[in-house]
Amino acid sequence: MKRTRLLGALFAGAITATSAYAQDTYEIWHYYAAGSELAGMEALIANGNEAVDEANFKGVIIPGNVVELRRQLQTAFLGGQPPAAYQSSMAFELKAFVDGGRLHPLTEVWSEINGDEIFPDGVQRVVKIDGVPYGVPYDLSLINNVFYNVEIFEELGLEAPTDWESFLATCSALSDAGYQPLGNAGGPFWSLYNFYAPLVSVLGVDGYYQLASGEIGFDSPEFAEALDLYRDTMVSCYADNWSGKTWTQTADDVVNGDTGMFMMGIWVAAYFEQADFLAGENFDVFQAPGTVGKSIFQMDALAVPAGSEAAIEAAGKFIAAAASPEGQAAFAVPKGSLAPNVNVDPSVYGYAGSRFAEQFSEAAANDAVLPNLFFLLPTSVGTELGVQIERFAIDPSDAVKAELMSTLETLRQEALAENAFIAW
Amino acid sequence: MPPRLKMPNRTTRTHIAFLALPVALFVTFYIYPIISSIHLSLHSWDGFSPSMRWVGLQNYVTLLGQPRFFNAVINNVTWVVFMLIVPTGTGLLLAALLDRGIRGESVFRILFFLPFTIPAVAVAAIWRWMYEPSNGLLTTVLELVGLGGLAQNWLGDPAIVNFSLMGAVAWWTTGFAFLVFFAGLRNIPTECIEAARIEGATPWQTFWKVSFPLLWPSTIIVLGMSAIDAMRLFDVVWATTQGGPAYSSEVLAVQMYDLAFGRFAMGRASAVAVYLLLLSAVIIMPYIYYMSKRVTESEAE
Repeated sequence: MKRTRLLGALFAGAITATSAYAQDTYEIWHYYAAGSELAGMEALIANGNEAVDEANFKGVIIPGNVVELRRQLQTAFLGGQPPAAYQSSMAFELKAFVDGGRLHPLTEVWSEINGDEIFPDGVQRVVKIDGVPYGVPYDLSLINNVFYNVEIFEELGLEAPTDWESFLATCSALSDAGYQPLGNAGGPFWSLYNFYAPLVSVLGVDGYYQLASGEIGFDSPEFAEALDLYRDTMVSCYADNWSGKTWTQTADDVVNGDTGMFMMGIWVAAYFEQADFLAGENFDVFQAPGTVGKSIFQMDALAVPAGSEAAIEAAGKFIAAAASPEGQAAFAVPKGSLAPNVNVDPSVYGYAGSRFAEQFSEAAANDAVLPNLFFLLPTSVGTELGVQIERFAIDPSDAVKAELMSTLETLRQEALAENAFIAW
Repeated sequence: MPPRLKMPNRTTRTHIAFLALPVALFVTFYIYPIISSIHLSLHSWDGFSPSMRWVGLQNYVTLLGQPRFFNAVINNVTWVVFMLIVPTGTGLLLAALLDRGIRGESVFRILFFLPFTIPAVAVAAIWRWMYEPSNGLLTTVLELVGLGGLAQNWLGDPAIVNFSLMGAVAWWTTGFAFLVFFAGLRNIPTECIEAARIEGATPWQTFWKVSFPLLWPSTIIVLGMSAIDAMRLFDVVWATTQGGPAYSSEVLAVQMYDLAFGRFAMGRASAVAVYLLLLSAVIIMPYIYYMSKRVTESEAE
């Protein structure tokens, strides 16, 4: 009898412990698996655990990228066990899950953190669907900067280019001296991010948003002109064999002094610093021609799945802590990105971060904060745009250009027929 | 008066009991997913919305109109041809060489088989480094031996990338073919080999006229597995190139994954899965049928 009671007590204890764990520990899913990214997320989660007494938050890494995270989320949603919150991209990435009825609106938290005041307008518009906030930004990276090797520039007496003409002159000087002028990397994102500079040069800020909302066609003369400008400037400057490299391999080429310039998201600054290649000393940065005074950005937000009220409540508290200046700085400084919250003291950043913060403030003042077009377009159109631009960068012939325009225009027409575009 | 149902005897009941679990597993994990995929392929669904929209055969028709789809089909068929010839042939060659009783046999045995034990993602990481076009190991070695002109943009040139991936997969999977062939060679009765030698056969003749025909069961396993691996190829391609650049290295399983999770087109991805199933059936089923027949005939002989 005693033995039965003891086993019963142990069983009850185990059940209680399991259920207490299930009640109090909430998962935050993300795909930051290593390096500065993981350090940033760990700091953000530590900040949440410190700020919220009644719940414990645990980061869960989904190895890979946004595609792998989507796969895991789809499975979790079907199984009815989503995380309390997860790393989400902006705009259509959020909209797809909102349309599926999978996200909880963050109206209360947004009001509590005063989201309309602490985030710039360009940031707000890509986390709200029909005016309702579904994501709270915590990670913002500019993608319109060109990084350059200071030693090479000093050796050749070069200045940071300010327009396309001086950019091409710099490329020629680097090439003549035996350096690879401009690094790039394979994959559907990097060539696309490079293409935004010629695109904005031709379309301007308003035209960029019109392309995103489906008002300007991919077969339009303006889009063709942007492709021509991309071909005549950046593509003509690209390093040999760029398409066979990853972005970290190309960053290594800049560090090793093989490549003069590299247009990449500002996360590359943290990568450089980890290799003791220091901002202001070994590398510096300029805004790509056509984007001076503007900021094109990639951003991650925290989204909360619909479902358990306890998880939603806990996630709300975590997000409130993550949106505070302390929370935002906790992530941005180790990650090497910018805090979307305008109240974060710029002194938290180093040399490179300060430059990016200045650029972002100037762009916000100019009302020229442009979200990544990839996520402003319906998912099928944005993804195909990335693939087609990479193809054009590898083979910038007129035939490929014509196929690119035709393929994308067909997708635009399909999306228009389905009323899939949004005026962000 | 209705006929009485006859109760199965004890032996039959035992058979049923033993069969119940494997049949349940087969139905749950093989039959149901196939039926579910066919059902999904007739709908438009993003993967998480509560409802799906019926579109009939539209997903199948759309795929047939896309050059991207046919490119993936051609890549899959090319992979089948490659997998049937290169890793299989190399594995047979290595097994035959090692079967001659050379010194350090056990070390070579481990060395040849070792790559097969590495996970696909690690293989991809290793070969991304090997294939770095400027400073990677392959380019550096070619330059060191004066063959720098042969260096390529291994993973970035659409015309080269599939050959590069095949090189990596050959390195990875040859160990399996080697092991099966080596075990097969060791199981051949020595009397047969001795008899051939006494009759004056050269080593070449002994291998082709005696050893190779007796390796038939091993060959069936290796060729069958290679063809199946080629049709379901996904992990190495996804982890190395994600099907790029610009779809050039995409196979059907990669396209299916990209459509399902990269573009929220679960219905179209399921249509790709059904096409893949049909293609596999057309290519592999006749082989399996033929091989099964040969095995039965061999056993009868």
